[in-house]
Amino acid sequence: MSQHAFSRRNFMHAAAATSVMAAAAAALTACGGGSSAASTSSQSVPADSNEPATIVFMEAMSSGAQKEALAKMTADFMAKYPNIKVDLQEQPDYGTLQTKINAQAAAGTPPTIAQVYGNWADEFAKSEVIVPLDAYVAKSDDYKNFYDGIKADLKLSDGKTWMWPFNKSVVVQYYNSTMVPEAPKTWDDFAAAAKKASTNGVVALAIDPGSSSGPAGGTAMFEILAQANGDAVFADDGTPQFTKDGVVKALDYLVDLKKAGALVLGTKYPGQVALGGGTGAFDISSVASYPFNLKAVGGKFTMGVAGLPSGPKGTANQLAGTNIALFAKATDAEKAAAWKYMQFLTSPEQMAYWVSMTGYLPVSKTTLDVQTFKDYAAKNAFVLEATKQLDNAKSLPSKSWVNQASGSLAQALTDAVNGTSSSKDALSKAQDAATKAMKAAS
Amino acid sequence: MASTSAAHTAVPASQPPAAHKSPVPMRPAFKPSRRKTALTSPVAYLFVFPALAIFTVFTIGPTIYTFVISAFKWNWLNTSQNKFIGLKNYQDLVTGAIDPPFWSTLGTSAYFVVAMVVGGTVISLPLALLLQQASRVFVAARAAVFLAHVTPLVATSIVWVWIFNPRYGLANLVLSWFGIGNIDWLGNSQFAMPAIIIYSLWHEIGFITVIFLGGLATLSGELSEAAKLDGCNAWQEFWHVTFPQLRPFILFVVVISSVSSLQAFTQFFMMTSGGPGFDTATLGFQLYQQAFVFRKTGYAAALAVVLFGITVALSIVQLRSTRSIDTPS
Repeated sequence: MSQHAFSRRNFMHAAAATSVMAAAAAALTACGGGSSAASTSSQSVPADSNEPATIVFMEAMSSGAQKEALAKMTADFMAKYPNIKVDLQEQPDYGTLQTKINAQAAAGTPPTIAQVYGNWADEFAKSEVIVPLDAYVAKSDDYKNFYDGIKADLKLSDGKTWMWPFNKSVVVQYYNSTMVPEAPKTWDDFAAAAKKASTNGVVALAIDPGSSSGPAGGTAMFEILAQANGDAVFADDGTPQFTKDGVVKALDYLVDLKKAGALVLGTKYPGQVALGGGTGAFDISSVASYPFNLKAVGGKFTMGVAGLPSGPKGTANQLAGTNIALFAKATDAEKAAAWKYMQFLTSPEQMAYWVSMTGYLPVSKTTLDVQTFKDYAAKNAFVLEATKQLDNAKSLPSKSWVNQASGSLAQALTDAVNGTSSSKDALSKAQDAATKAMKAAS
Repeated sequence: MASTSAAHTAVPASQPPAAHKSPVPMRPAFKPSRRKTALTSPVAYLFVFPALAIFTVFTIGPTIYTFVISAFKWNWLNTSQNKFIGLKNYQDLVTGAIDPPFWSTLGTSAYFVVAMVVGGTVISLPLALLLQQASRVFVAARAAVFLAHVTPLVATSIVWVWIFNPRYGLANLVLSWFGIGNIDWLGNSQFAMPAIIIYSLWHEIGFITVIFLGGLATLSGELSEAAKLDGCNAWQEFWHVTFPQLRPFILFVVVISSVSSLQAFTQFFMMTSGGPGFDTATLGFQLYQQAFVFRKTGYAAALAVVLFGITVALSIVQLRSTRSIDTPS
């Protein structure tokens, strides 16, 4: 056999060339192809043909009452519409959910609908992988009954409605009523009560600022404090404004609590752990934490729940939770089915059940008239107070850089509270980092 | 000898005459001939092809693709929006335009790598010397030390997060016995990296110790006996006899520890998410954070190319160190 015909060198050259060509072909395919823009049909509501359709709902309601409630509501929906099958694809947490959605969208096989945060939706909308819902909401009776804060939360900065509400919440204060007989009404009262309760190994408040990868509840509390002082940490267009007086005062407030031994930083829901273990007096957390906090307390004492205290510029709060987005790759039949399902989830009866099971808030005013909700509110008076805030509560601006910028804020909080930097210096550094992130994203 | 005669017949005509004249190099002349036959046979490539195809699709192809991505402002959600930007991602990398600056990330990586290499070697070598005896107790102790290495990183990272918990953790309890106050191990810039290094050493020293135990088993006992007869004490024997013989193994440990530490990810993801700030964001973690959290895929690909280059350099050192183990002086 001729050595020239099939030498090792030739083979290796051929293999290398094949690899390069394969990669180049993939790159060229990627550059030229990719996800298509929203189809013409996505700009209008597809006609309901009652064709059999299977829709995939990618969600993160993977445990406890949330999982149970969503499964039941979905089963009820499928019983009502036998031609539609809903495939619930649950993910263990929001981080995994985001990664999975991105991976599937990149592969050209996104789910039909998915839970999304505003800043995710901003990126999806710019990349043309989700469809605007203006034409859909125009035909919805339920939409008219949504709280104003909820309606605003469904829009992106282009003024279009891109999302449909799902699991919405605001922040409330949970407290150990043995240590704190009455919920503080102002943030000054809160500081006084926290300092008083911090004796014999008790540190009144434990918060998790989060990390550079993403802020956690502690940073949300700080952002609310700043707003109660009259200065939001982000302008409406997403520009960071961390060095404003109200923001600096909010950080000074937390530093003062730390110095008085009434605040500690931690990870993995430190407020809930401390409150449940009797080593904390408060937990500042989402209203959706209610069933989890009740479980942590386990009947050892009476857990009080109340709205957040007010600051010099009134009460501030942050709208938390996710909405649902509809993906552009879905067929018209899938879009029509998904739209039916989305409306079903927010119908007053279903929403009342959802609220009573999970502690999330009702997104429409008409839900308050449903008996299931009335029964729930009779036992949990704080829900009505929290629901009132849905007209005014705002979420962080839906910009792709906001998460990274809030990570810088989390770092500023950590540095100042740990005493490695003054509030002003820490926030100034965070402002620079956040501005850099905004410019890079723009 | 059959093999010798076979060697004579297999020597190709192109072989220099000197090879035929020498009485010794019969085996070297035989080896290349057989190897060449195997490598020029299409059948051999047929057997190699499945492995090569898998390697090409899952390793070589993606590696080349990473180089391609690093030249783009890459939108993985809609690749039709990708924009070719040439070396801009590398420029950002060098100028520190993206947070955290590349040089700071490299410094964080170096901190972790040096601590792991030095710490791992300094702890594991004495441990191996201690455990090299063949009694039942020491064999059980070897298993115990190695056990940490086979535990899953994710599960044990979570356990260590609780050990380092500032309020309820075991680490602070132990410190309190010595009158030291609470430390926020994972939340404080000064302590976060040392805390991860402590965990990583706990996880890795079992493996390194086993390598040293293997090395110690190959050493010549005669040299040690001779040293003892000449009046060496235990330290002199170790330093002048044992240690020089272990050098190839130490070099091997240094190289593989460097490569694995450079690519470490799980403990950073689970314990600190790269924080506080970016104080524990090593090169391996930054790849993930830039690509999947901050969505700067092109920049992350440029980081991956740099990590690839460093790993290749270390792999070359590793290959040479392996050769030196095969042929000790």
